[in-house]
Amino acid sequence: MTSPSGAHLAFDDFDVLLSGDAESPLHAPAEAHLSGCNHCRAELAAQSTLIARLESLPFFSPSLAFSDLVLQRVALPDPFALRSLATSRKRLLASRRALVTVSVVLCAVLGTMAASVIWTLANPDAVSSVGTWAGDTASQWLWVALRGGFANIVEQPWLGTAQAWFATPLRLALLSLGITLIYVGGLFALRRLMALPRAGAAHA
Amino acid sequence: MARREGIQGLTDQEVVALARSGAETAYRELVRRYERPIFSLVYRMVRDRELAEDLSQETFIKALNALDSYRPEYKFSSWIFKIANNAAIDQLRRRELDTLSLEGSPHAATPDAVEATALQIGSRGESALDAVASIELGGEIEKAIAQLRPEYRSCILLRHVEGYAYEEIAQILDLPLGTVKTYIHRARHELRRALEHLRQ
Repeated sequence: MTSPSGAHLAFDDFDVLLSGDAESPLHAPAEAHLSGCNHCRAELAAQSTLIARLESLPFFSPSLAFSDLVLQRVALPDPFALRSLATSRKRLLASRRALVTVSVVLCAVLGTMAASVIWTLANPDAVSSVGTWAGDTASQWLWVALRGGFANIVEQPWLGTAQAWFATPLRLALLSLGITLIYVGGLFALRRLMALPRAGAAHA
Repeated sequence: MARREGIQGLTDQEVVALARSGAETAYRELVRRYERPIFSLVYRMVRDRELAEDLSQETFIKALNALDSYRPEYKFSSWIFKIANNAAIDQLRRRELDTLSLEGSPHAATPDAVEATALQIGSRGESALDAVASIELGGEIEKAIAQLRPEYRSCILLRHVEGYAYEEIAQILDLPLGTVKTYIHRARHELRRALEHLRQ
């Protein structure tokens, strides 16, 4: 394809000549034109020089840590998880019977969920009354349990002794101090247990 | 070692499949194959080493975290170059960098920062003298490339530095084929004009 005026070669003609694509149908006419056109020969030489210079441009290297920095921020898939997922999928889809079972279970679960949502939306009054009944029953049970628990404690023979222990502020303070010391001691022991072994610890 | 040599002989699609199965060596191999081309493109686009390194890292992180969405019927290289080019163009839109400095980033405030951000020429197996020559010749041509519009710059770099076909460039840049050819034609014309003084 020469330029519309027919005077000089067009971009595609030069490209074919520059790439050396002799198979292209544009190649022979472009070569023929070139032999009689000084302007296009000069243009081809200039483009060829420019392209050679561009192609000789070097590649630049990023820093040495580039690869590590990238991989630190990439979430690598866990091969074991992938393998077990693939195995499960393979087992589930291994035979027609397994496939049918999976489909039936899936349909049953989804169908039940859908039916439940539809029934709830269609019967708001029934849902509300069930909710009220459940709330009332739960609060009654809670109240009975609390009363039973208190009545049981009040009837215990040790209650009087325990009340006598807490009767004076001094005894109460001593008891609080004792409990606090046991708690702090427990924390300290736990910290010792959780500490990492120091370097040079003997191997088992 | 044998495994690594084995990976190096695989196609991009095969390495991606390995990476999807959780092989870390496959991820490293993809980074190894494309870190220099991607970094070079982004560096020439944004003309700031530190920024280019950040954008290249973002490109790889984005691509490697989204390997599941990669479609093997397309070339992996086209896909990752597309991500890199978009990152560079977005950055250029946000921030105007108008002068290429072979000596260092125009944003470097101290001599150390200038040195740290200076262009570092890699080697394509050239001799020391060739490297010096390519720095001198490359200096002029790098400045000329830097003066091109970002769209022209992407096209000319992908075509003549990375060696992509017009159709692939159109795919990478989401541009019609005719537009790519026009951009490359204009870019070559502008480069020749910018380098004319060297011929005289």
